[in-house]
Amino acid sequence: MFFANSRVLLLAWLALAALILAGCAAKGIPADALRLQESSLELRSIQTRKFTAASEMEILSASIAVLQDMEYGIDEIEKPLGVLTASKLTDADSSKQKTGLFFLDILCAIGGGDDCDSMTRADDSQKIMLTMVVMPSLANENEFVTRVTLQRVVFDKESRINLREKIVDPEIYQQIFDNLSKSIFLEANQ
Amino acid sequence: MTIKFSPLVSMLVLLLGGCAAVAPDVVGSGTQLEIRQIQTREYDTLDKKLTMRSVIATLQDLGFLIDNADLDLGTITATRLHQYKMRMTVTVRKKGQTRIAVRVNARIGETSVTNPLTYQDFFVVLDKAMFLTLHKVD
Repeated sequence: MFFANSRVLLLAWLALAALILAGCAAKGIPADALRLQESSLELRSIQTRKFTAASEMEILSASIAVLQDMEYGIDEIEKPLGVLTASKLTDADSSKQKTGLFFLDILCAIGGGDDCDSMTRADDSQKIMLTMVVMPSLANENEFVTRVTLQRVVFDKESRINLREKIVDPEIYQQIFDNLSKSIFLEANQ
Repeated sequence: MTIKFSPLVSMLVLLLGGCAAVAPDVVGSGTQLEIRQIQTREYDTLDKKLTMRSVIATLQDLGFLIDNADLDLGTITATRLHQYKMRMTVTVRKKGQTRIAVRVNARIGETSVTNPLTYQDFFVVLDKAMFLTLHKVD
């Protein structure tokens, strides 16, 4: 009887050890990490526009100005490659989300929980990061191909990361290109 | 009873200890030459700028933001934050008199990408971008 019991215990110990080991093993690299997604072609066309400008300097200056218009800070510029990287920290407070979490806390407190701090999990701020690449067109002179890509990281009240994602909303990109178009016009006519 | 199971307990403590006290990974792992081979591809061109343009287009297609780029040194560093954090550094260098070598490093979170297939996936996309830029398609 004792023998059988210790066998069970031993198995339980081994199972626990295996579980712990599995937990600290290196997390696998996703197999599709660098595979092109099917949606990437559509996303590229959303993120890309062609503009006509007199010179590379003119369109780059207009691009920097439009980033300033949209309240971004420039992090990095590599002029010969037309790469502009910019970012800004903005508010991500959502009263709707906070109301939901507030009621969740109340329910949790009513239920007798003593760790009811869902509110601290609410979105607080977000860092929006942007790369704009402006290159002279290979096909046509005086034309420039501009591609914008956007990502954001949302932080909660205690600076923990709630979300990181690429921004894919076509309207956002359209608005940026509309602004850029105006900026190029102003740059040429100042 | 307590004595009987103490070896098991100590083994568990040892396992846990081995898991927690990881030596600082300062110099990376794997053999230098093998890693270089997996991460490098050569192209029959001498146009560094167009090659870098293709690399940037490839990175953008794959959803990366460019953190840093330098034409003189031929380096590009990019980050993708969708779902998990992936960071890449690409170097573009002249190789001999007629070719250009593109080398790619990737890490996801705290782990280095060592699977040759993942790098192959990247070069498949880059091959297409190179073809298009060298044939003057935007």
